[in-house]
Amino acid sequence: MSGESKRAAARQRIAAKRTAEAAARAAAERRRRTVIGGVVAGIVLIVVLVAVVVVQTHRTSASAGAAAPANTTGNGYVFAVGSADAPVTLDLYEDFQCPNCKALEDSTGSTINGLVTAGTVQVHYHGMAFLNTAQNGQYSTRALNAAAVVTNAAGPEAYKTFHDLLFANQPTEGGSGLTDDQLIAYAAQAGATGAAVEQGIRDLVYGDWVAQAEDQASKDGVTGTPTVFVDGTKLDDLTPDGLTAAVTAAQQ
Amino acid sequence: MTWTRPWAATAARLVLGVVLVVAGALKLPDPAAAVRAVRAYRLLSEALVGPIAFGLPVVEIAIGLALLAGVFVRTAAIASAVLMVVFLAAVGSAWARGLQIDCGCFGGGGQVAAGRTAYPGEVARDVGLLLVALALARWPASRLALGGRPDTTYAETEFAHVR
Repeated sequence: MSGESKRAAARQRIAAKRTAEAAARAAAERRRRTVIGGVVAGIVLIVVLVAVVVVQTHRTSASAGAAAPANTTGNGYVFAVGSADAPVTLDLYEDFQCPNCKALEDSTGSTINGLVTAGTVQVHYHGMAFLNTAQNGQYSTRALNAAAVVTNAAGPEAYKTFHDLLFANQPTEGGSGLTDDQLIAYAAQAGATGAAVEQGIRDLVYGDWVAQAEDQASKDGVTGTPTVFVDGTKLDDLTPDGLTAAVTAAQQ
Repeated sequence: MTWTRPWAATAARLVLGVVLVVAGALKLPDPAAAVRAVRAYRLLSEALVGPIAFGLPVVEIAIGLALLAGVFVRTAAIASAVLMVVFLAAVGSAWARGLQIDCGCFGGGGQVAAGRTAYPGEVARDVGLLLVALALARWPASRLALGGRPDTTYAETEFAHVR
């Protein structure tokens, strides 16, 4: 009787031990599978990561070196207006659709023109194009492309005239933007005419260059428009007085 | 309580997973814009801008897919929480430095016109997602998951049938 019950107890212990061992084996197996799965997933992730970085780097560098318009300086992204011998350089970053840029042109534009005429300042206009919408038909890009076409065909003075015309006739933000026909008409007013100009404006011949110009502005540390640098120092007070004071200080 | 928590974890997985996959996918079509968005934060040297701009979407999509499928849920939840902390630090520093940029969280990004920033909304969204990620890391067991620890998910399911 007692021997019988001892054997039964022993059998139970052995069975319990086997169950526990089986459970431990199963748990170890699961852990092994999880580790293998994790390592495989990690390797796949790294391979995909490297592949995507390589492909995207290739895609962004493909459009680099896009043809720049003639009559520009500074890597082909600068429209220089005024005497190259002027003692002070004014760098001006604008988007043709930006209302604050129009406000700057309205308030301080004549002061800038005066400084250019006096030979004190050479203005480096940098175009930006980040206010594109479907509604305005990518107007920022179309306008900057048109400015590049005008400069290519007729030089920096024509650029300046075209630039002033576009800000004087700036379409409202959230509106439909100027049409290509209107841009062609303003280009003609600025002195750039002909089939090549028309085609250049309609076909966005400098579309890649506009994207590169936008990149260049971002590399220059410009994150908004209008941004003004007086001899490389960012100007915060964009009033006529603020600009005049900064230019005077830069001359000394 | 016993049945709501796994379903809440499933909901958390779906929310985080969809947001991450969408955010990653929207950054892939226009790599130049992605580079500008990263550069606009002015936190990284030019050599790092490209790899971060191109690598981040891949990481986001990978984490998002893991969450949606329900594999490596705790790891993925912790990784999302780390991402959110990084995003919060970046957006917070841009805000504090007065940069006029869009976070570029869902593609686009880069500079915006003055007064067009949306920092409070961006921070609120990231804080919300961070809390979801932390809760999921604490309680990762969920329904409708491919992976996960059987002793916490499958066993519970079987138990439920027995009872």
